[in-house]
Amino acid sequence: MVAASSPRFLVPKIAVVNTPSPAPAFLRFRKFRFAAAYTSTERPRSPYVLSAPASLYEVLEIPMGATCHEIKIAYRRLARVCHPDVAAIDRKEKSADEFMTIHAAYSTLSDPEKRADYDRKLFRRQRPFSSSSATSAYTTAASSPIPRFSGHTRRNWETDQCW
Amino acid sequence: MAEPAYTVVSDSETTGEDKPLSAFPEIAIGIDIGTSQCSVAVWNGSQVELLKNTRNQKRMRSYVTFKDEIPSGGVTDRLANEQEIFSGSAIFNMKRLIGRVDTDPVVHACKTLPFLVQPLDIGVRPLIASLVNNVWRATTPEEVLAVFLVELRAMAEIQLKRTIRNVVLTVPVSFSRFQLTRIERACAMAGLHVLRLMPEPTAVALLYAQQQQQTVHENMGSGSEKIALIFNMGAGYCDVAITATAGGVSQIKALSGSAIGGEDILQNLMHHLLPNLDSLFSNHGMNEIKSMGLLRIATQDAIHKLSAQTSVSIDFDLGNGSKICRTLDRTEFEELNRKVFEKCEGLILQCLHDAKVDVEDVNDVVLVGGCSNIPKVRNLVMGMCKREDSYLEMNPLEAAVCGAALEGAVASGISDPLGSLDLLTIQATPLSLGIRADGNSFVPIIPRNATMPARKDLCFTTAHDNQREALIVVYEGEGKKVEENHLLGYFKITGIPPALKGTPEISVCMDIDASNVLRVLAGVTFPGTQHPVTPFMEVRMPTVDDGHGWCAEALLKMYGSILDISTLQKKLQL
Repeated sequence: MVAASSPRFLVPKIAVVNTPSPAPAFLRFRKFRFAAAYTSTERPRSPYVLSAPASLYEVLEIPMGATCHEIKIAYRRLARVCHPDVAAIDRKEKSADEFMTIHAAYSTLSDPEKRADYDRKLFRRQRPFSSSSATSAYTTAASSPIPRFSGHTRRNWETDQCW
Repeated sequence: MAEPAYTVVSDSETTGEDKPLSAFPEIAIGIDIGTSQCSVAVWNGSQVELLKNTRNQKRMRSYVTFKDEIPSGGVTDRLANEQEIFSGSAIFNMKRLIGRVDTDPVVHACKTLPFLVQPLDIGVRPLIASLVNNVWRATTPEEVLAVFLVELRAMAEIQLKRTIRNVVLTVPVSFSRFQLTRIERACAMAGLHVLRLMPEPTAVALLYAQQQQQTVHENMGSGSEKIALIFNMGAGYCDVAITATAGGVSQIKALSGSAIGGEDILQNLMHHLLPNLDSLFSNHGMNEIKSMGLLRIATQDAIHKLSAQTSVSIDFDLGNGSKICRTLDRTEFEELNRKVFEKCEGLILQCLHDAKVDVEDVNDVVLVGGCSNIPKVRNLVMGMCKREDSYLEMNPLEAAVCGAALEGAVASGISDPLGSLDLLTIQATPLSLGIRADGNSFVPIIPRNATMPARKDLCFTTAHDNQREALIVVYEGEGKKVEENHLLGYFKITGIPPALKGTPEISVCMDIDASNVLRVLAGVTFPGTQHPVTPFMEVRMPTVDDGHGWCAEALLKMYGSILDISTLQKKLQL
């Protein structure tokens, strides 16, 4: 288990995209803003930098050494706040993105194999720009010019073409 | 100056298009439309309450009879006798017919019903007709369901003394998105707005989560996680779900389901008792309909009796001179329906496998639905889960509607001071969603049992040199080949810059939001730049209409393979 203090993770501002697991792949299609705890400390965002939390552990607001049980508890706690079904009315659209981020973090960290894999990558990433520079170029380029979903929140049968 | 007699609601409130759903203050009711029975429940402020009709029934038969000009459904209709449902004038089992094309085996199995089901096997909706004054009058499953829903709505409005607009309906796991649009359409016809369509076992899971929450009284998020296997088998469908529950959060780990149920068991037994049933009944004459009704009633009765006793004697007159007189024991009955039971086993195995859960880790086995009374079904489920007792805290016939009512209250934004509504269902997609690529292959983009809301994308490329256009054909299902899956829609991407095949990157993204709306987003980007060449397209699915059995063939005939695309092997190692 890699044990490091969390402030170190704040250094790289790019989310990992080159994991072989399909989970974080959708990051390409949106700029996402992160959950409740982070909205208060809004950082200025340029369209070319993903203002993501630096690690999946930060997404779930847990230490790196968290047990599987703690991960599940954190996931459920965040789901209770961020899931679109329970989120406040004015946050419905963002909450879907937030919840997907949380779920992606959870699905990686709750699977022992994926977590070990991720931990190795995270460890490598802390040594500045050894292997990750190529990744970051790819990510930043991919992240913004693609149109974002407008995300209507409700189905409307009157305009539904499918009759 | 006089006070205005009424107040004008501001435009933003009346048009309310972009208003979120929870702006409605009313509590949505939960409706469980079963293949054979149906019920309505609502959160009454402290608990879930089932509504009763004027005859004091909590569960009403799902049928609509067309006697004269005005159809009447099982909510208000007073039957002279059981036989009346089977006289040809009543339409039932609409849940097995809705949204299916006439090449579907489930539609073909409906040919022995007393009303007329006429599949032409060409991939359109089947003709369905009821007998009104000696005339077969055509109708549609949506219309029948709408008539039924209107009655349910009227019943609820009288009892709750308010207008009902929002509903949560339960649906089978195996319903395609096209079928879901048919349910929504029937609701719209009845003036109802669908807040959620919940897969039946997930409604049961929500009720289970609430019961666990109440018994444990634990702090949010803490406490141990409980895993439940929910097996729900009714007259028309069999569904399985595995849910992980803690602190009122029900996380659906996996779903599986199939159009198999009590109706299949009934049909098997009817065919066993009367081997030449299909040919005997093919012309739907008056006398045959009558015989068929008698056979159905006798067979149903025998199945019910076999749940309590090990053998049953069947003795009745078909009315046409022939008699059926014999005894049937449970072993014979179970052997007759071996395939049905094997299918159930398969669904449980698949669900456990998909959820990555060992049977030893399952804390509770929840058995619900009418068929859970059948000893073989109970034994099979309990045997597979390696335990003696099932979860007994809920009524097997009311669990789904209670869960729907809970979801109705939660989704309406109602909170309970005692915390009984601090609930959340994290849903999963029941079927894979993907597109046609690499010839006739189905390439999933969002796999089944993906947590919702979900968004996934995948890169494709052209199949020919200098290909300028590409066809995106969206399917839903589990088959490897597209024709085994449900077609949801299609659109064309144009303006691909001329290049060698395999060079342009066609990016296809699928997005399911929390209300289960599917959008497909696609466009061309040039490798290296990642900039879209032309504007991306965003299409809400499904877009196909009733003739969708024809669409795939028509596309093939029109375009052949010239607009094909292939999967692009992305170099992951950088």
